[in-house]
Amino acid sequence: MTTRTNAATFGAAGPNDDIDRPTRLSLYRSLLEVRLLEKRAYDLFLQNLVKGTSHLSLGQEAVASGFAVAMRPDDYTYCTYRGHAHTLARGAPMVGVLGELLGRKCGLMGGKGGSMHLTSVPHGAMGSYAIVGAHLPVAAGAAWSAQYRGTDQVAVCFFGDGTTNIGAFHEALNLAAVWKLPVIFVCENNLYMEYTPIRSVTAVERPAADRAQAYGLEPIEIDGNDADVVYRAARESIARARAGHGPSLIEAKTYRTSGHSRADPAKYRPPGELDEWLERDPISLYRKRLLELGFDEPSLRSIESAVQRAVDEATEAAKASPPSPLEVIERDVWVDGGSSWRN
Amino acid sequence: MDVVMPQLGETVKEGTVTAWHKKVGERVEQGELLFEVSTDKVDTEIPAPASGIVSALLVPVGQTVRVGTALAVIDEPGKPRVPAGATARPPATEAEAKPPPGSGRAEPAQAQESGGEPGTGRPGHREGDSLLSPVVRKLIAEHHLDPAAIAGTGAAGRITRGDVLAHLDKLKAAQPPADRRRAPLSRIRKRTAEQMAHSWKHVPHVLQAVEVDFQAVEQARAARTAAWKAREGWSLTYLPFIAHAVCAALGDFPVLNGTFEGDSVLLNPRINLCIAVDLGEEGLVAPVVKDAHRKSLAELSRAIHALIEKARARQLAPDDMTEGTYTLSNSGSFGTLLTAPIINPPQVAILSIDGVVRKPVAVEGPGGETVAIRPIGVLAQSFDHRALDGAYSAAFLRRLKLILEKQDWSTVLDDAAAGGSAPPPA
Amino acid sequence: MAQLTYREAVAAGIAQEMERDERVVFLGEDVADAGGVFKATVGLLERFGPKRVRNTPISEQAIVGAAMGAAMTGLRPIAEIMFSDFLAVCWDMIANEIAKARYMSAGQIALPLVIRTANGAGSRFGAQHSQSVENWAMSVPGLKVVAPSTAADAKGLLAAAVRDPDPVIFFEHKALYASKGEVPDGELVDRLGTAKVLREGSDVTLVALAAMVPRALEAAQRLEQEERISATVIDLRSLVPLDTRTLQAETAKTGRLYTVEENPRLCGWGAEIASIAAEEWFYELDGPIIRITTPHVPLPAADALEDNILPTVQRIVETVRRTAG
Repeated sequence: MTTRTNAATFGAAGPNDDIDRPTRLSLYRSLLEVRLLEKRAYDLFLQNLVKGTSHLSLGQEAVASGFAVAMRPDDYTYCTYRGHAHTLARGAPMVGVLGELLGRKCGLMGGKGGSMHLTSVPHGAMGSYAIVGAHLPVAAGAAWSAQYRGTDQVAVCFFGDGTTNIGAFHEALNLAAVWKLPVIFVCENNLYMEYTPIRSVTAVERPAADRAQAYGLEPIEIDGNDADVVYRAARESIARARAGHGPSLIEAKTYRTSGHSRADPAKYRPPGELDEWLERDPISLYRKRLLELGFDEPSLRSIESAVQRAVDEATEAAKASPPSPLEVIERDVWVDGGSSWRN
Repeated sequence: MDVVMPQLGETVKEGTVTAWHKKVGERVEQGELLFEVSTDKVDTEIPAPASGIVSALLVPVGQTVRVGTALAVIDEPGKPRVPAGATARPPATEAEAKPPPGSGRAEPAQAQESGGEPGTGRPGHREGDSLLSPVVRKLIAEHHLDPAAIAGTGAAGRITRGDVLAHLDKLKAAQPPADRRRAPLSRIRKRTAEQMAHSWKHVPHVLQAVEVDFQAVEQARAARTAAWKAREGWSLTYLPFIAHAVCAALGDFPVLNGTFEGDSVLLNPRINLCIAVDLGEEGLVAPVVKDAHRKSLAELSRAIHALIEKARARQLAPDDMTEGTYTLSNSGSFGTLLTAPIINPPQVAILSIDGVVRKPVAVEGPGGETVAIRPIGVLAQSFDHRALDGAYSAAFLRRLKLILEKQDWSTVLDDAAAGGSAPPPA
Repeated sequence: MAQLTYREAVAAGIAQEMERDERVVFLGEDVADAGGVFKATVGLLERFGPKRVRNTPISEQAIVGAAMGAAMTGLRPIAEIMFSDFLAVCWDMIANEIAKARYMSAGQIALPLVIRTANGAGSRFGAQHSQSVENWAMSVPGLKVVAPSTAADAKGLLAAAVRDPDPVIFFEHKALYASKGEVPDGELVDRLGTAKVLREGSDVTLVALAAMVPRALEAAQRLEQEERISATVIDLRSLVPLDTRTLQAETAKTGRLYTVEENPRLCGWGAEIASIAAEEWFYELDGPIIRITTPHVPLPAADALEDNILPTVQRIVETVRRTAG
């Protein structure tokens, strides 16, 4: 089976006019929202307003945006604890995301879940999961549900390169393949599993793409920093799933420009690596392309300032929101709203 | 049920099994001879405390064990089987059987108390130290029961909840029919009841009495009574005279003013007189006149009067109730002949003052013996026989009588100086 | 009324709910054609078809994870984990994901799923296939825990579990699958969180669960006949929610509380009940609370050993007799 890469199917790293202008603007806007919000989250962490830890997607925006723009509102997203980008890209309000990081009442979950568990079911963001690999079978289950109910919804499941070595990855892939479930597994290979280079702990060169055949799936490797490439891969794999052709496993090469988490200054990267990837920053790359395609500077700037304004407003609103009342501590274990275990 | 070494005498601490009359596996009837025991006071045949099968003989013939040790087990049909030694003390070796020196505490007479049947007592349980479960404690507290009055049918004689409930049923059955009023005890009454019961149980009381001729007291009193009433607003009674005389007499008999402490009597330099005051339906209190020996008769009168008024007004302070060393109990106004009062421990004595009645008595006159009509009253002292003996008490009473009959009471009454006339007790 | 075996009652319960609600789906290993290794799901494939009754690979994490994903997107899945010992294999899914998703999402996610599993010893399967682990589930906030002891309860409580909007771990007992009982005809839906008093006594209260229930009943019979000790027997049926009201009322009546637990000693379900009793019903107690449990060791395989390690009727009788005075 041939390996499908961006070159073969998803277009060269260039325009290809199969993507219309509104979509491109949506992609750009989405990239900016993620970037600017994540940067704001970083600042708030430095100001000690965001407590605990936070896993930022700086540098990995294109994967989140590329897929989100390709998805329908009733499709399902499952992501990891590095999930701000995905949750936001599906349309969750900025004030909800920032509020959750700050532990406030306006947070998406009122501070009950925190940075690692961002969830916005109305937007199809079905949860961010902090146990590596746990959400893969869950995404398969959501896809099974769609298949069973006869809707053509799909589930898209995002995870990192490290996930490909955990048991749940294999169980989920196998089950999805055997049951031909409409789920797209997207591996964001940012070259590092926490603090360790992925290649030093993985038996194969390409952690996801080189496993695909074990499940009877085509190996797919793409440039995860090119929003157009991601968008095309998303569009195609989603279409296949909707048509009943089963799951896909996509390895998107990308890079995170910050550490694993806010607590990690990432000194384990070899010198020069960061700079190389900064040259391929998804946003500068896409901006350049838009200008090449004839989008004018003022319209791009107006998107940029609009997004910045939105981020600023959301920041102030989140900061002004009080913490949730203490009553929430014993609420919502059960559907009846309570947590009682006895009579 | 466990068969234990019985207590065959107040000071007996151990016994030796000299014969078994049943073997393991044999049936025995309650009351049937089960074994023989030899102790330092008595050789006895012991009957079985219950009917059943002898399931274990724990102590061989010839072995000496402490009172309360499990000797055998009788399996009664239908009752929970308790393995020997689970609750009774397991048999000690000969060496252990001798109680360690100085521990000298006789096994309580409880074994005798529970129906007089040896072997049914609760070994190892001191007074007030039984295994009461939480619900049993709660019921006992709620209903103010005495655990000692409740028969225990649980393992090793434990009082079970069922036992308490059965006891309550019994009480209810014995309750007066509806036409009789129930009078719950007041707080004071309850306290008095506790104290009196305790004193009665623990203090060996001896009663001694003297007849006193109150002629001298009466003459002094009568002469001053009008002026006193006019000045003070209340009448002088015999009580302060007697109190004053008691203080004087106690000066030479300090043990009677002492505090009993088990192995010693603490001699108190101060005489703090308790005066028993009746509060009608509510009960009895005995507030204290502190340093009574330092007061003149007049001062003592006033102090006693003030205290009684305070008591009747229910305004006694905690300080009024502490540190009493001797008690006076006055029934005089009722005209009683004699009262045997109950001591307030840790005091060692109490004096009852009864009615003073004009009686004919033999008196020495100028022409020899004649009959005169005199005010005669009985003073009766209960004393704690642990602290002192009859001769001491009698001597005190003789002194008291002497003071009351011979003192120049008019002078004493007029002596308004502080410090009184009694020297401090030795 | 019909006489059903416990395993037939399980299948009947699943069938009743699948018939009633199209959203109910069922997945597990060997559950379809084979009707389950314990034959507790015989006939379901034939009746409801391969779309609703699905065989899975040996992938406990995928089975339970898929159930979770399906439950949060509109279905009411029943997932089977063949042996309760295997819950350990997918314990992350159960304890970290399913138990917590609703709370962490502040109520956005609902998980109306049932995980049914075969629990307990008595089948000579050895230490890794014989455990009673309902106490593990009891200790995780966010899970409801049920363990029926009779055929009727198996059907009725399973139906209640399927209809419950929250995650329920349903512990069937291997040694009870062949037991027979009267099961009412027609729709049967019981209530979670309700204990049943199976026998009224006046001296002691025995609380038992699942396979320990028939033993407690037999022990109560013998205690009555041989020792004239009158025992109340309570079938607890649910650990979460816990019917503390019934437990308190029955404990107060006798003042003597005993638990009969198949769990190994430490942190068995009876420990929590004993703790509640000691704290809240202290002044009703006429003696110490006694737990009759399996010792704290893994389970041996040999029949003679296995038969003697769990609380036997004899051990229950002896323990009560020795301590009830």
